[in-house]
Amino acid sequence: MRNSLKLSAILILAAAVMGACRGSTVAPNAADAPKHEPRAVTDDMGRRVTVPAAVTRVVSLAPSVTEMIFAVGAGDRLVGVTTFCNYPEQARSIAKIGDTMTPNMETIVALRPDVVFVSSASQLEGFTKLLEQNGIAVYVIDPQSLPDLYGKSLRQLGTLFDKYDDASRLADSLERRHRDICRITNGCAGRAEGGTGPAAVRVFVQVSREPLFTVGRSSFLSQVIRDAGGILATENVETAFPKLSKETASALNPEVLILSDSEDNKEPNDAFKNAPAVKNGRVYRVNADLISRPGPRLIDALEQIAMDLHPEKFR
Amino acid sequence: MATYLTTVRKNDPKLNYLLVGGGLLLLLIIVLFGAAMLGAERLPLFDLTEQQRSILFDIRLPRILLGACVGASLAVAGAGLQSLLRNPLAEPYLLGVSNGAALGTMLAFVYFQSFEWARPLLAFAGAGAATVAVYRMARSRTGMNVERLVLSGVIVTTFLSSVIVMLTTLLDAAKLRSFTFWLLGDLSQSTMNGVYISCGALLVGTLVMTSQAKALNLMMVGERDAFDFGVEVGRVRLLVFGAASLVVGAAVAASGSVGYVGLIVPHLVRLTVGTDNRYVIPFSAIVGGIFVVFADTVARTAIAPRELPVGAITALIGAPLFIYLLRKN
Repeated sequence: MRNSLKLSAILILAAAVMGACRGSTVAPNAADAPKHEPRAVTDDMGRRVTVPAAVTRVVSLAPSVTEMIFAVGAGDRLVGVTTFCNYPEQARSIAKIGDTMTPNMETIVALRPDVVFVSSASQLEGFTKLLEQNGIAVYVIDPQSLPDLYGKSLRQLGTLFDKYDDASRLADSLERRHRDICRITNGCAGRAEGGTGPAAVRVFVQVSREPLFTVGRSSFLSQVIRDAGGILATENVETAFPKLSKETASALNPEVLILSDSEDNKEPNDAFKNAPAVKNGRVYRVNADLISRPGPRLIDALEQIAMDLHPEKFR
Repeated sequence: MATYLTTVRKNDPKLNYLLVGGGLLLLLIIVLFGAAMLGAERLPLFDLTEQQRSILFDIRLPRILLGACVGASLAVAGAGLQSLLRNPLAEPYLLGVSNGAALGTMLAFVYFQSFEWARPLLAFAGAGAATVAVYRMARSRTGMNVERLVLSGVIVTTFLSSVIVMLTTLLDAAKLRSFTFWLLGDLSQSTMNGVYISCGALLVGTLVMTSQAKALNLMMVGERDAFDFGVEVGRVRLLVFGAASLVVGAAVAASGSVGYVGLIVPHLVRLTVGTDNRYVIPFSAIVGGIFVVFADTVARTAIAPRELPVGAITALIGAPLFIYLLRKN
């Protein structure tokens, strides 16, 4: 009995000390300036999200989202990013809240953001309730294609951050660059018919060498490859990032191999040793960060892939 | 079937073993051929193109052969350890042998990726180190008892699991992805080199294990009785642990942690032919091979052209089968 009394006294004391520490570390700042009427904005999933008039403190739970926020000129409002967020350089010095699938909720709440940006339905499901209980708005940015990105996501971000002019300038420039590529490759129209012109190059995207992961039809890269004047050799695989049978890979005979460039994915899988792509030296490496993030730099990936697929058209 | 065979055995044991062994070998051959004909790509029986030959000989056959050797290895290790420890639950996983091998493979993967032999060598070292650790923890002033040994095995297993989980968390994302697949048991990275290493280790391990079969038979009665019959208990223990570490190390380095094989296969074999280790060990090798090749064929074809990890299939078949056997007895 006496012991348990002692224990609870210690616990109460510890809680008090921790409470005091917490109070002193989270200092008030300019973000607490009077906020006017909250307003409602629409996110990429069509949800109505109520945010303060001035959004000044935000947390990003995905590298692509971090890149978008910097690109619309609101990078200085990011108070928390994931450990994967390595671009632009300034993102590295922002407080880390964990990685995309296992962010630390205590860290996020302690940062007292107005809005937390998530990039997928699973994140939305996992974290929304807890964040909203703490009075933090959750906003989904999940562009499914380049037109989605410049036509919707970036412009809505501009509205949210009151940076509409910067955002639409960026969106216009992405749209222009996309149109230029489409004009050159003539590849952007074919989606609805499920096929492109006879010039379409059969492309295999190798996400990792061992085990062999690739992309399928549901991946945003499927459309990027089409826009670049190619077609995924794995177009009839439904999953976005399937682990593919090597037998199937070997029988696909891709004309071009694109390797998502990372330490353990420098060379084609052995299954491709007789593929035309390897025999004709048509193996290209694309920076893994460009090719795996549906953000503003996806246009760079598109331009590079288009030039790799159709060098003759870019002379 | 078990009761039928028991009655036959009374009449002519030799003939009975010959029949069962021959039948199992025939079944293994049938399963190997069936597996070779099935896959994500449909291959004709004759007149293969160069590409189809490459699919069959460079991709499919190495994987099937490796599956057979991995299955046989795990089953042989399970059969030996169960007899040695007189515990039907003893198997490479419970005793930390597999996790030791997994940790060794993982370290090789992170630090010595360019050196091809590093994976099997470190896996064997890991399996051996885990075994030695368990063995030493289990020894006390009063000698070794089985409960203590199994308890030590559980402790080493869970400790190594935590180390593995910690390492996967610290590894970067690209490596993590290949590892989560590998930890579940995955045969998709089979090469002929892997086949030579794993099947070579299996051959040596099975010969050593079978050579100790008579001693193991006596030790199943009790270590003291075995000692009275002139069995060098310490030497048998060392050889069986060594053989188990060798085959499990090679199997885990090649395919990760394929579960349930070491547990379920020796049980099935004992139910069919009795407990004589001179037969249980080699028969377990054959049945283990059949089981894993069958499971991997399902893994390769069920959702083709995508793939499942073989460890998920062995567990899916193994767990209900084990419960059924438990209830039946």
